[in-house]
Amino acid sequence: MKETLKVDSVSKTFKLSAKQQKLKKLDSRTLKAVDELSFSAYSGEIFGLLGPNGAGKTTTLRMLATLIKPDSGDALLGGASAVSDPAKVRSMIGFLSSEVKLEDFFTPDYLFNYFCDLHRIDDETRDRRKAELFGRFGIDKFAHVKVANLSTGMKQKVSLVVAVAHDPDIIIFDEPTNGLDVITAKVVTDFLLELKEQGKTVVISTHIFSLIEKVCDRVGIIIDGKMVTVGTLDKITGGRPLEDVFFELYRERKGDEL
Amino acid sequence: MKNGALIVFKKELARFFGDKRLLFTSVIMPGLLIYVIYSLMGSSMSTMLKDKTSSFTAAAVDMPQSISKTLAEMDFEIEDIELAQLDDSKEKVKDGELSLCVVFPQDFEEALASYTAGVDNVQNVEIWYNSADIGSSQAYSRVVAALDGVERSVSNVFDINGGKDADYDLATDEDTTGTILAMILPMLLMTLMYSSCVALAPESIAGEKERGTIAALLITPVPRSQIILGKVCALSVMALLGGLSSFLGTFLSLPALMASMGDETEIISTQVYKAADFLWLILLILSTVLLFITLISIVSTLAKSVKEAGTMVMPLMLVVMLMSFSTMYQSEPRVEFFWFFIPLYNTIQGMSGIFSFSSVPINLLITAASNVAYSLVGIFVLTKLFDNERVMFNA
Repeated sequence: MKETLKVDSVSKTFKLSAKQQKLKKLDSRTLKAVDELSFSAYSGEIFGLLGPNGAGKTTTLRMLATLIKPDSGDALLGGASAVSDPAKVRSMIGFLSSEVKLEDFFTPDYLFNYFCDLHRIDDETRDRRKAELFGRFGIDKFAHVKVANLSTGMKQKVSLVVAVAHDPDIIIFDEPTNGLDVITAKVVTDFLLELKEQGKTVVISTHIFSLIEKVCDRVGIIIDGKMVTVGTLDKITGGRPLEDVFFELYRERKGDEL
Repeated sequence: MKNGALIVFKKELARFFGDKRLLFTSVIMPGLLIYVIYSLMGSSMSTMLKDKTSSFTAAAVDMPQSISKTLAEMDFEIEDIELAQLDDSKEKVKDGELSLCVVFPQDFEEALASYTAGVDNVQNVEIWYNSADIGSSQAYSRVVAALDGVERSVSNVFDINGGKDADYDLATDEDTTGTILAMILPMLLMTLMYSSCVALAPESIAGEKERGTIAALLITPVPRSQIILGKVCALSVMALLGGLSSFLGTFLSLPALMASMGDETEIISTQVYKAADFLWLILLILSTVLLFITLISIVSTLAKSVKEAGTMVMPLMLVVMLMSFSTMYQSEPRVEFFWFFIPLYNTIQGMSGIFSFSSVPINLLITAASNVAYSLVGIFVLTKLFDNERVMFNA
């Protein structure tokens, strides 16, 4: 397997407003969201970032998607630096997150074409991909219905399809099954496994143990912005339930605070 | 391969033209509303003036025959009353039943005929009227004008412009049109252009930030500068359409509005302008809309929501209004070239120059070129802002 993603000591600190500082009960007006985080992901594998809310998972994925820049460190995606060559990185990744929304005025068909154009996909490839993905997710019946008029599950499917419209080698999903009904969640997890089979590198963040256990080959556990442990599921759990291992690690770092 | 700016441009236009409600509210409605409102204003003012000027009724005490005759020719119905009835008549003026009451001294004409300046007491004619009533005010003005004429005929020492056939006003129709339009239209055009831009830009940028759809665009490989260029150009086209609609509405309703203001404005005709004047005007409008869109886009990028953008853009509106009103208080437009480097003020002065036939082509070129240059600087600033994660994602 080829190392397609290498995160090397990335850190990110946010400046907080006085209100945020008070809410988070912090002594300083800064918050180190990600602290010297390193990990790698390979082609044909699903890598999971596991951690509680506020651990730094989403910040890490936003840095990988080049939406924000690390204060220090770098991430190489397909050999391109997220810091110095973000445009190249953007052409190689598909990013899906709750903060990335589609304009609900347009139809799935229009949006697919639009994003393919932005990724400079030729019309023939685009039409082939569209037929394949729309058929795969049952979007073809709703291809000309405005996103605003679609169900939540269908909207999520459209977002997923648009995110991978350009057939990226690296797919980054932030909380891929969050807020989805069981049927749509199953469709999404099946698709993640399908992408893995196609030799893609998939990185997901989640706090759902069962999702990690079901789809991930390797996992990194983040607590307070730091990578506590990283490796294959077997190596980390040693055959025990992942949930038990996670809380053990959590208590080691945070005491009995839950 | 398609250019990123062109793809974004087409998508923005597709959004605009595909949304019938947006198209109606930002293009069709402004022009239609302006046309209907101005036309109604014009026709109701004309009707009101016509009604009021159709006839005046006056109560008069000791009014000389000659003056009574003159006033009758001016559509006055004169009712002769005794001095004892004056208070009743005053009440009628207050109530709008009478236009006014006039009280002449007894033997007014004889007193005038024997009047020696510096020796005799000056005769006093009392006119009671109601300034809150348009008809009464007009009647008052007419009676005063008629009595002024009588006074001049009595003690005529010299005339001003007394030649019967001479046209002493040397202004041509072109000059009159130029003076009036140079005062009104630059202000009107600037306000309409600004209104069109401010109705569209915040929605496209702050709105996309607020809805989270901008992130989907920013994770594509299209350079930020191309995204901005596509958005700014599309917004400029939309704003121009909105501005054009408002301008047409104003222009078409202008005759009705002007007709209600009096005879002087009847000679206003846009036919005095040549094709070159319109081409210069279009050039200034295009470059100014581009600048407006860029400035409002910068503010919208800094804002977290459409609502916040609306508040943040208020100071810019004040600047536009202040500059727009400058033509109302100047006798002639600026001609020195350095004024034409000041953004927005240059457009006002350039338009004023075009409408008053005093524009200098090089100044108009400086205006258009500097507006485009400032817009490019603005686009550069926008690119930096789009790259700023704190601005775009509150990170």
